[in-house]
Formats: sequence, C-alpha cells, structure tokens
Amino acid sequence: MDKAYFVQLFASGAAVALLVGLAAWARIAKPHGPLDEGKARALLEAEFPGRRLDAVWVASDGNGALAKSGGLALVICRLGDGYAGRQIPWAQALQASFRKGQLCVDLADVSAPKAFLNLPSWPPKDLAA
Amino acid sequence: MKTFDPVTLATPLFILTIILEILLARLGKVRAYYEAKDTAVSLAMGLGSTMAGLLTAGVVGTATLWAYQHRLFDIPMTAVWAWVAIFLAEDLTYYWFHRLSHERRIWWAAHVNHHSSQHYNLSTALRQTWTGGLAGTWLLWIPLALLGFPPAMIAIQQGISLVYQYWIHTETIRRLPAWIEAVFNTPSHHRVHHARNPRYLDKNYAGILIIWDRMFGTFQPELDEEPCRYGIVKNLGTFNILRVAFHEWMGIAQDIARQPRHALGWLFGPPGWSPDGSRQTSAMLKAEWEAQRRQAAEPATPELDAAA
Repeated sequence: MDKAYFVQLFASGAAVALLVGLAAWARIAKPHGPLDEGKARALLEAEFPGRRLDAVWVASDGNGALAKSGGLALVICRLGDGYAGRQIPWAQALQASFRKGQLCVDLADVSAPKAFLNLPSWPPKDLAA
Repeated sequence: MKTFDPVTLATPLFILTIILEILLARLGKVRAYYEAKDTAVSLAMGLGSTMAGLLTAGVVGTATLWAYQHRLFDIPMTAVWAWVAIFLAEDLTYYWFHRLSHERRIWWAAHVNHHSSQHYNLSTALRQTWTGGLAGTWLLWIPLALLGFPPAMIAIQQGISLVYQYWIHTETIRRLPAWIEAVFNTPSHHRVHHARNPRYLDKNYAGILIIWDRMFGTFQPELDEEPCRYGIVKNLGTFNILRVAFHEWMGIAQDIARQPRHALGWLFGPPGWSPDGSRQTSAMLKAEWEAQRRQAAEPATPELDAAA
C-alpha cells in the first residue's frame, strides 16, 4: 500500500468526522416524543401486527415499553430516533433483573442484546403468576 | 498503473451532496432526517468497506483475470456496442446478485448492513458491507470475463453502477418524470426496496435499470397510501459497529452450533427460515399481512343471533 492510500484514508476519516459533526449540529433527527400508552400500543401493533396485548407497561421516561401477549413478552426500546422490537418468552421477561428502577431485559439476540426500561417496579404483581 | 475508478472520482461529490442534504434539511427546504450515531455508523461502514475490500481484492482480481484468459470472445474496450453490452450485462448480473443477497441467508449476512439503518438518506448509501468478498457473490461477475469483457471494463461498469445507486438514497426527490420511473431505478423505487413494510419486502432489486424487476416480477411501485418504514424486519438494538457488521454471521454461527444437522438450511434458506417454522421469512410475513388485509376488507358477517 502506498502513501497515497493512507492520505486518502486519513482524508476520508476526517470527512466522516466532519459529516457526523454536521449531522449532530443540524438536529434533524426524526421527530419523536416520549411514548405514552397510546403511542406504545400503536408502535407495538406496527412491530408485532395482529398480536393481542394483554397488558402494556411504558417506561417512565417514555423510551420503551413492554407488553404481555399470551406467553410472550413484546419489548420495544428506543435506539437513536428509532425503535427496536423483540419478542421473548414471558417467563424470560419475568426473570429480568430490576435494579434502581431500571429493568434490564436480556433479549438473547446478537443484534439487540439488551433492552433497558425505567419502570416503577418489576415484576408486575398482578401478572407475575 | 492508474485506472479509471468512478467511485474514487465521485467521493468528493458524495461528501458535498451529504453536506447539502443536511443543510437543506436543516433549513426546512427538503425532507431528510439524520441522526448523528446512525450517520456515524453508516459512514464508518462505508470507510471500513473500502478497507475490507482490499483483503479480498487479490483473490477477486486473480479469479477475474484467470477467467479472462480463458475467454470465449475478444470484446474491444473501444467499441460503443461493447459498452452498451457491458452496461446491460453488468446491470442484469447486479439484479441477480442483489436478489440472491436478499433471498439466501448466507448472502443476506453480507448485505444486511446496507439495510440496517432506520433512515433513508444519502449517508445510508455509503453503509456498505465488510464481508461481501468473504460471501463470494463476486463470482457472479466472473462469467462476464469468461465471455470476453476485459476486467477493467467490468470494474469500471461496476463503479458506474455503484455511483448511480448513490443518489437514489434520498427522500428529497419524490417522483421523477414517468418515462424515467418506467426505465430507471429511482429514489422512489429504491425507497420501496429499503422499506420493511410487508408489502414492500424483497422488491425492486435493480441497480440502474428497473426493467429487470418488471421482467422478473419483483417490481413494486411506491404507494402514497403506504409510507415506507425503513430498516430491517428486526431492527438493530445497538449502534455497536462490530455487531452492525457481523450480527447476521454471528446469528448463523449460533444457529448452526445449536442445530448442526440443519446447517444447509441455516446457510442457504431464506432469511427468517427455521427448521420448525418458529421464525418468519419475508414470504411468511407477506402472507400474514395479506391475510390480515383480506380479513379487514371482508364485509362483517351478520350475526346469526341478531336475526333470531
């Protein structure tokens, strides 16, 4: 590899930094507010069409939600200005660790390893059984 | 020896047009959304892709040269008809490469990166694979060298195709004149390709000419009543670039380790395939969506007890 390649590589790296900085400065991410129950249900319906929602818990900061759908837990969590959704067995969701008001759900997925949801308590007393 | 490389020549244009798209969006003049971390991942994937490409360039180049040495015809680089022929042949090859990259998991593992952004802007175009050389889809272009197209000619046409496909990654252009939309791949057609709505899955594989999709039954126009939702069926839950680059390969490895006797299925089945049908392929998602749509469209059945 010649010197020109490394010059080109360095210039490309600098351009990447410039463009990322510009994107951050511009503040033109997709508009989104915190989730409330209505928005969370709409998002869950879009992510998991046709699924029955027995109960929905929305994160206190509006950055995600968890729903019970039969034997499954449907999880959505914010990533940047978008969301990622995964389903896991309900029993797995019940076993998620809960510390200092934050639920850490192991999604067992390489592309979405964990979801963090701020909730008042976990597991929910009425549905834990 | 210096060769004509359309992608290198176009790189300043890539940078300038992204700056322009961001500034115009900031001023409210065009529709474009950028999120800093998403942009960083897209651009870093692009930069990494050029470096990763060097690792397999020797193998690809050697194989192409070998094929050219055993060519069937002598096709001159100076003839206009030869450029028309390579344009059509390369674009057809690209269509099938692209279709294969969506319909078989081993090749989807290399291509999924390009679709993993939930955004559709010019930076998304540069979100390129790090593992394309490893996946071996470059073999599809070898027959062109065997036919007699010089390797430099193939490489130039591939570069032209890549540069063409850059500008269509935008929401700033809604529709182009009907004759252009009929013949060429356009921002509208390619938005459909990047959408995760069931109706839009596995459609519009074209590189430059959309005619291949029309011919092979994979064309889907963008519908105003169904806005595109971008990304993949199971969107990424992380900006970790190593996970972005390798997650599907890691998923395949985990699946094969768990069920080695289904290795061929895990590798060559469609994305979402599983031996017990517990996961969903694009075809299954489409069928489910179609069934729900039909159910919603059917008139409500009169209740029997109401008549009693």
